[in-house]
Amino acid sequence: MKTTAASALLLVGLLSPSLVHAQAASAAAQRETMDIGDEPGRISTEEATIKSGPFARQLVFFRSNEPPGTLVIHTSEKFLYLVMPNNRALRYGIGVGREGFTWSGLVKITRKAEWPDWTPPPEMIARQPYLPRFMAGGPGNPMGARAMYLGSTVYRIHGTNQPETIGQSISSGCFRLANGDVIDLYSRAAMGAKVVIRHSAQL
Amino acid sequence: MLSFTRIALAGFVLTTALPALAGTLDEVKQRGTLSCGVSNGLGGFSERASDGKWNGFDVDFCRALAAAIFNDPNKVTFTPLSATDRFDALKNKSIDVLSRNSSWTFEREAGQGLLFAGTTYYDGQGFLVLRKPQVTSALELNDTSICVQEGTTTRLNLADFFKANSMTYREVAVASPAEAIKALEAGRCDVFTADQSALYGEKLNLAKPDAAVILPDVVSKEPLGPAVRGDDTAWFNLVKWTVFALINAEDLGIGTDTLDEAMKSTKPDVRRFTGAEGGFGALLRLDNDWAVRAVRAVGHYGEMFERNIGSRSRLGVPRGLNQLWSNGGILYAPPLR
Repeated sequence: MKTTAASALLLVGLLSPSLVHAQAASAAAQRETMDIGDEPGRISTEEATIKSGPFARQLVFFRSNEPPGTLVIHTSEKFLYLVMPNNRALRYGIGVGREGFTWSGLVKITRKAEWPDWTPPPEMIARQPYLPRFMAGGPGNPMGARAMYLGSTVYRIHGTNQPETIGQSISSGCFRLANGDVIDLYSRAAMGAKVVIRHSAQL
Repeated sequence: MLSFTRIALAGFVLTTALPALAGTLDEVKQRGTLSCGVSNGLGGFSERASDGKWNGFDVDFCRALAAAIFNDPNKVTFTPLSATDRFDALKNKSIDVLSRNSSWTFEREAGQGLLFAGTTYYDGQGFLVLRKPQVTSALELNDTSICVQEGTTTRLNLADFFKANSMTYREVAVASPAEAIKALEAGRCDVFTADQSALYGEKLNLAKPDAAVILPDVVSKEPLGPAVRGDDTAWFNLVKWTVFALINAEDLGIGTDTLDEAMKSTKPDVRRFTGAEGGFGALLRLDNDWAVRAVRAVGHYGEMFERNIGSRSRLGVPRGLNQLWSNGGILYAPPLR
């Protein structure tokens, strides 16, 4: 599993310049290229974590006025920071919403669930009619090993059965982590924790 | 006859005096190339490849400056300088700007008549620790053996830091970083302390670089940046605002991949940056797209960092303090308006 994840990551790395190219080609073509399906049924293990590179879980220097325990998400950098005392944060690589599906704001973790079921919201079904209406939680579920529900929104921080998509903008607005990483985050993030979602300046 | 000599003499004085009065920018423009002092070899900051091409973070800054002036990042002559020669080279005008991992200090400005045009890299003394004892902070280094280079300020900073935090350590004096790496591997010391920028390079010399970590803490201030002579404010401003332009570009989201989009932007702060409004280039006696030229040459600050010393380089230095102020670091540039 380790090697598949790593090689898949490498593949994604190799592919990305062509993705960028396609992006420039036309908006319609971009939608086609970026619309990677959620692949229900694909299996990822609990142990799958990002092992190396900037998206690997790591302790970083992070100055913040947010109290320890706050989650700060930078959508354009594709990082989630768990604020810790002493100018530190634990940083996780994440997958974020594709263009048009990014958002920013302040919410709270309102619910936590292990191996969550997946009920794609109606607007998502409208866009991707082939998706199942309901899928029970488990290793093949695109929600992955853990989910943290954000306020009263349809968005969550969740795991994934596609760890190779970490670092990309492909979701419908949710924030996805590799299963091993989301399990780690789940154990550290408290119910009611503040979640700040930011994206960088728009031109 | 006498008056003729006097006039001729006056004319002679005038012609020789003119170049001396001309500013650094005029000299650079006249010469057609920027003269940039760099380190004679420091991984990630200034390195000369086998084909003679200079690469690195400090090198790229001079390329950005050349691009802002000439719209050509290659119109730079690099002069490698040792630590002892660097400030004299600036003072005797053999270089226009010194971009050589030099710390901005009081004495260098007030005492030597130089000016630092901002900070391009916040360095500081840090700690390289073998991963075995799972430490995450320098405050957990009590009762360890620490390798430190003899006769350096690093040694004094180390003593101060441990005293201030009521901790003890055993000092293992080494003559060079290479010796420290050997000592670390032989188990003669648990920790090696030096400036963080150097530690990232030295870490690669370990047999197993992954077996060691560099703690995020810094215990001294070493703000590195480009320096110029203190007698030319116009030139000082040009160099300083090139530093700020690279940082502001990242803040505004203007990078090599978004430059074309930025040129079409309707946002006032982006338009001032690209020169579409404001006419600020003229105030530096440059073209109005000077800042865009700099970014096109080397990318914005973050791109320059990641490519040379950050996650896309061999060194893998994390952004840390050198992250934008809005992203948890301390990089902050005044607005371009």
